[in-house]
Amino acid sequence: MKKTLPKYYPLIPVFAAYLIMFLIGFFVPGMWQMVALLAFYCALGQSWNIFMGMTGYVDFGYVTFIALGTYGMSLGITYCSQYEWLGIGIIVIGFILAMFLASLSALLEAFIALRLRGAYFAIACIGINEGLRYFIEGAKIWGGSEGLIYFGALVQALGRDTVNQLTSFWADFSVFIIAALAAFLNMHYMRSKIGYALTAVREDEDAAKVMGINANKYKTIAFLTSGWLGAGVGAMAWGLKLGYVYPGDVFVIHYTVECIVVVLLGGAGTLLGPVVGGLIYGLSKYWLAVIMPGFQLLIFAPIIIIIIVAAPEGVVGLLKRRLKGTRLEMFIE
Amino acid sequence: MKIFVRGGDFIYKGNTQETLSESLSEVFSNRVKEEKMILTLLAGNLIHGLLLGGVYGLATMGLSLIFGVINVVNVGHGQFIMVGAFVALTMFTVLGLSPVIAIPAALIIGMALGFFFFYTVMRRLIRAPELTSLLATFAMGILLEEIAKLIFGADFRGYYWAVGKITLPITTIPMSKLYAFIGSIAIALFLYLWFSKTRIGTAIRSVMEDSEGARVCGVNVSWIHALSFAIGIGLTVMSGVLLTMFIPVGINPYMGGGYTLKAFVIAVLGGLTSPYGAFFAGLIFGLIENGAYTLFALIPGVAPFPLTVSLAFWMLFFLLLVKPTGLLGK
Repeated sequence: MKKTLPKYYPLIPVFAAYLIMFLIGFFVPGMWQMVALLAFYCALGQSWNIFMGMTGYVDFGYVTFIALGTYGMSLGITYCSQYEWLGIGIIVIGFILAMFLASLSALLEAFIALRLRGAYFAIACIGINEGLRYFIEGAKIWGGSEGLIYFGALVQALGRDTVNQLTSFWADFSVFIIAALAAFLNMHYMRSKIGYALTAVREDEDAAKVMGINANKYKTIAFLTSGWLGAGVGAMAWGLKLGYVYPGDVFVIHYTVECIVVVLLGGAGTLLGPVVGGLIYGLSKYWLAVIMPGFQLLIFAPIIIIIIVAAPEGVVGLLKRRLKGTRLEMFIE
Repeated sequence: MKIFVRGGDFIYKGNTQETLSESLSEVFSNRVKEEKMILTLLAGNLIHGLLLGGVYGLATMGLSLIFGVINVVNVGHGQFIMVGAFVALTMFTVLGLSPVIAIPAALIIGMALGFFFFYTVMRRLIRAPELTSLLATFAMGILLEEIAKLIFGADFRGYYWAVGKITLPITTIPMSKLYAFIGSIAIALFLYLWFSKTRIGTAIRSVMEDSEGARVCGVNVSWIHALSFAIGIGLTVMSGVLLTMFIPVGINPYMGGGYTLKAFVIAVLGGLTSPYGAFFAGLIFGLIENGAYTLFALIPGVAPFPLTVSLAFWMLFFLLLVKPTGLLGK
């Protein structure tokens, strides 16, 4: 036991950050919404980072998973809310559907796109995202471009009080859980056979293959995990909380870019990075929306460019270099 | 909505796509669905598709050139097309100049933008991982969008360059579309000659093949990188001018995103690193897009326009699976 313990030390600062955020949100009145927003960005960054950090592949169509998660929850609630005996079970069904849809698209994407490298992979991922969005709109499935609006059905099935509690607390709380789970899984993968295999693949895919590493298998595992977590965030933070879904709202590449910005601000491929990045990005976005509504993007775009050029390793990357050789080193990963 | 009409009595209402869909549904509901008529319609739409395809091809050549030379996928590609559209619009409505003069102006503005972004940002990202270059180009796109919104507002605008039209038995073609098509072919041809006959063109091709080898042979690789990026952006902005002939009221700061995605499909169709492949792929894409649209409009209960866009991406996916080197690739 003693031998295995130190390898999870880097999780301590991550969990501590989430705990502090949660406590601030829970006990300081009026802070819950903001903390929930921060947790949303941290969770997305963390989930995106699992795949990117371990394989070096840039999934530019990551929002597909978030959107399909939202759709899973929406479909569960829309079509199952008429069965009264299910009660709160419709949320569970929705969550399972979200996972199912995410797995389906992740496996399809893995089958096709993971054979590709670099830019081709990014383009393929964008392609599947847009293809799905316009297919839903064009074939008019799942409500087509009008989307699904099911908040009323949810209230009817579960009662107003339960729904209020669900949307204002439990949806956000589950985002915290997913964020923590993402951090744990990331750490766990890094310290297991999968992590070593993927490091080999990232450094030199052909050499790894020659050594007998089944690159596609490990990449698919990391991709699926990343997709499930994203779908979970989508199902909870959008599907359950908002009570409606439009294809034009959820399949938007800007959300992928937000994930990437969060990760890059904190430090790509690090465990603590997405938390730091999520906090910086979420707070500055919130603050800019208050002081300069409508100009956030105009200010953000040059800042992103400057960060990419000046500090591509992110805050945690810089910190890691500073702390090298000190006793704090083992807490930062 | 602001519509400017000059030099003719033609009054244009609505977006091309919308008018097309309206006219189509009218045609299909009011008249008997004769096979012959559908074929006529298909043939007419294919002609329009070919004309638009030429501009698509030109619009994608820049993307392929940039990817081929500096190995960066420009995710902000469509936003440069948007810049071109606004150049044409401003010159037409404010200065009263025809789009023919806007083309060289757009090239100059585009190349200036290209050099600016290259020396400030892209130069440092050539050997960086995809993560940074994708994000940087996306951020450039957002920056251009927001600046355009600040200057022009978020309204849909447009202008109509009334220079007559040709009436064929199957369809009516505005001369402006024909000129845009001819213009894009001329530019592509000029580029082809420039690439194959001049020293700099040969240098660019050599860097595309093997940048280390080119460096050994005395090519100033960093200058070629800068120049190709600028030419790529210049071409893209220029194609934005030609594109305005096809979207009479579709000019908007946020119009670019859709064209970025189309350009990806076309670029992959053409082999991603080959500008000429991209031009021919553009022609094919224009034909497929309009043809599929006409056919999808026959299916009741679906929205043909999104379905056509969706088809393009499934096509992209299929192509990446079976032939990532493109239609003309080895």
